Amino acid sequence: MVVPITIIAGFLGTGKTSLLNHLLAHADGRRLTALVNDFGALNIDSELIAAQNGNQISLANGCVCCSIGDDLTLALAQVMNQSPRPEHILIEASGVADPARIAAFTQVDRDLRLDGIVTLVDALAHQHHANDQHLADNYRRQIEAGDFLLLSKTDLASPAQTQSVRQQLAAQKPTTPIAISEHGVFDERVLLGLNETHPLPPQAEIEHDLRQWSAHMSAPVPRQHLLDSLRTLAPHLLRAKAVLHDDEGAYVLHYAGGQSSVAAFDAPPSGHFVLIGKPDMPDDASLARLLMPTPMPTSMPKSMPRRPQTKSSP
Amino acid sequence: MSHIFAAKSIITMNPSQARATHMAVRDGHILAVGDASHIAQWQQAWGDMPIDESLSDKILMPGFVEGHTHMMEGLFWNYDYVGYYDREGPDGNVIAGLKSIDDVVARLSQINQQRDDQTQPLIAWGFDPIFFDGRRMNTADLDKVSTECPVIVLHASLHILNTNSLVIEQAGVKDGDNNEAVRRDENGRPSGEFLGQLGMYMAMRTTGLDLLGAAGSAQTLINFANVARQTGVTTATDLANPVPVEAVQTMLDTISQDSFPMRLVVAFQGGGADPQDGIARIKDLQSQQTDKLRFSLVKFVADGSIQGFSARLKFPGYFNGADNGLWYIEPDRLKALIMAYHAAGIQIHIHTNGDECTDVALDAIEAALRENPWPDHRHTLQHCQMANRAQFKRMAKLGVGVNLFSNHLYYWGDAHISITMGPERAARLDDAGGALAENVPLAIHSDAPVTALAPLFTAWCAVNRVSSKGVTLGGETEKLTVEQALYAITMGAAYSLRMDHEIGSLEVGKRADVAILEEDPLQVGGAHLKDIAVYGTILGGKVHVNKRGAK
Repeated sequence: MVVPITIIAGFLGTGKTSLLNHLLAHADGRRLTALVNDFGALNIDSELIAAQNGNQISLANGCVCCSIGDDLTLALAQVMNQSPRPEHILIEASGVADPARIAAFTQVDRDLRLDGIVTLVDALAHQHHANDQHLADNYRRQIEAGDFLLLSKTDLASPAQTQSVRQQLAAQKPTTPIAISEHGVFDERVLLGLNETHPLPPQAEIEHDLRQWSAHMSAPVPRQHLLDSLRTLAPHLLRAKAVLHDDEGAYVLHYAGGQSSVAAFDAPPSGHFVLIGKPDMPDDASLARLLMPTPMPTSMPKSMPRRPQTKSSP
Repeated sequence: MSHIFAAKSIITMNPSQARATHMAVRDGHILAVGDASHIAQWQQAWGDMPIDESLSDKILMPGFVEGHTHMMEGLFWNYDYVGYYDREGPDGNVIAGLKSIDDVVARLSQINQQRDDQTQPLIAWGFDPIFFDGRRMNTADLDKVSTECPVIVLHASLHILNTNSLVIEQAGVKDGDNNEAVRRDENGRPSGEFLGQLGMYMAMRTTGLDLLGAAGSAQTLINFANVARQTGVTTATDLANPVPVEAVQTMLDTISQDSFPMRLVVAFQGGGADPQDGIARIKDLQSQQTDKLRFSLVKFVADGSIQGFSARLKFPGYFNGADNGLWYIEPDRLKALIMAYHAAGIQIHIHTNGDECTDVALDAIEAALRENPWPDHRHTLQHCQMANRAQFKRMAKLGVGVNLFSNHLYYWGDAHISITMGPERAARLDDAGGALAENVPLAIHSDAPVTALAPLFTAWCAVNRVSSKGVTLGGETEKLTVEQALYAITMGAAYSLRMDHEIGSLEVGKRADVAILEEDPLQVGGAHLKDIAVYGTILGGKVHVNKRGAK
């Protein structure tokens, strides 16, 4: 199985650890392996630790944390050389890493798929970081590399401050989705994708500032048609997942981080099709026309209200 | 047990007694230094001692101290050497240098055919295309070795590797024109050459081997010590090592053996750990150290490399316009780490390649000193290749030493002139002369296995400043004299490790650690330093002769 990788980038103190904690606590059966800089910072409750072996901690919920030490190359190769492989790898990029260089590993490993680069931006410290004497260029690179920007510390910033940062980011990266996280929480299905046990997020439970469109399709959809259609949607699209079929058989399609990947699916296709995108995604009827040339979808979407935030740790 | 070594001449590096011919040794330490006329006096004071005449035609110097190497040097000797120059392996056998890519292919094919299991990965190292007139190795070359097993050839720099097409197929190298780490041929297909961590990752994934897992098996340690010993080294460093608990016992067991011919200083790799945990770990390690194994310092790697465009440069940045490099530790965190280890009284070595990084490290040390004055801390900047005079002045005032990467002048000097730094800054690359002129304590190093481990070669680099294409970088101002270079590879490095009271010179009371040379470096002249044959070493009074030492 190809292992998706999600890279969590952002400066020291922007909330990468809180977000990792949230994702590990909400793995919901996904066997996540998180490559982290410092176990200690995660502050894992000792009751949740099933085993500790050298630089790896196994959690009771099936997830694993690995300490990167000083060499991500070695840590990632070790994780991928293990059997069984993780279901999904999260990499906590160091505060000064260039996430694009980390993402490049997926280009030389057929067993890896880049699922996305999430760059956290601290709404309080954005100006400070953007003008830092030694770090401004690194900061710009992290934002450039991100295919999803998550504003953190918005609960501490004033609405005007948050809005201003958001506008600056939108000007810098007009096609990249920007969303807001509070208390280190963000919908894990958006960040980790929708796997077989999590086929469809309930309509009402996707974060605000994002739109979801979903459909159920029993008719065949040629994969090339789907790939071409997604390419035209790319500026508006964050993530897509489809388990469909065409003349060549059943297939599963993932879209994340600006990349599509298609693989044969060796089970009856569920016909599920979900898109998560920016609010400026074309309207529902246009999407249906674009993506599914023949029959109409069996369900039509609505806009999503905000889901109440909860604070949690693994 | 005591005895007297008689030599042709002894260069002591002790200013009050620069030359001698005889040296008495007891219990691993130096009992007396002088000439034949002193022997009777010594015998009277210390009792009868036999005189060892076996070195009477040799030149003795203090054993060389290599202040910046990596144990990984020993790891690669588990694989096959395919470099350009003849090289002596840890077993003392000389492996002939290979003078063309076809020779490399022929050697590897032969090795492969002699193996029992020809499906196992075949790994070689030390390859250097500098010598082949621009011709690069490609997949077609290595496919001649085998299409049945992964074939991986690491370049001498370790920043590049070549593979056969099986590796590319197994890895499933994806299209991505923007990836500068994958070299492509004129048709856009991977040529077989991969750069940096990407190449290393691919090699580890397709072979399933931990090519960087240098935590230290006994064999790796023994290889490392033997390779170092053959070049006259009696104390080397592993800079740095996370020192996992299970590695310590292996180190203690292996290094304490009488046949293990070297002292080893292991720096704790402190960048990733919480400083309080790291400090506790170092203190625990220090309680276990011996006369041959030390855990005296912590090391941080604060930026990348100049030739990899990952070093942090000040204005105007890279000569070819490349983006500024990467921090490996963010400046604020580096400062917090330095403050914490300094407060705990632990000596700090910091890898800073670019001049911006050097500034940040000095700012942090200055802040630490304001908070906790420590007159003799000996914190040391490692590599520090782009330091200018203002930075050297600051280092002198702050009591900071420098260990410059003089081998870089030879290996990457040409690239620094034309690509990375441009002629002016390249002229003062690794400015050892400038460091001494500004009174900065100086050592020079190889960073082995990144470049060849051989202190006399490193001294030659600092004295001549000549690149592999024969271009001289800078002038007399930046060069060392032979005397200064010899000091840097003995006392200078010993000082940087806080061991100058024990090693680095041959004087009464110090450890009897000696490099045994065939020629006198102060007589052959700077141009020939690298050609002086090393006969062997003495460690704590025990002689270790190189297999090809006497010739």
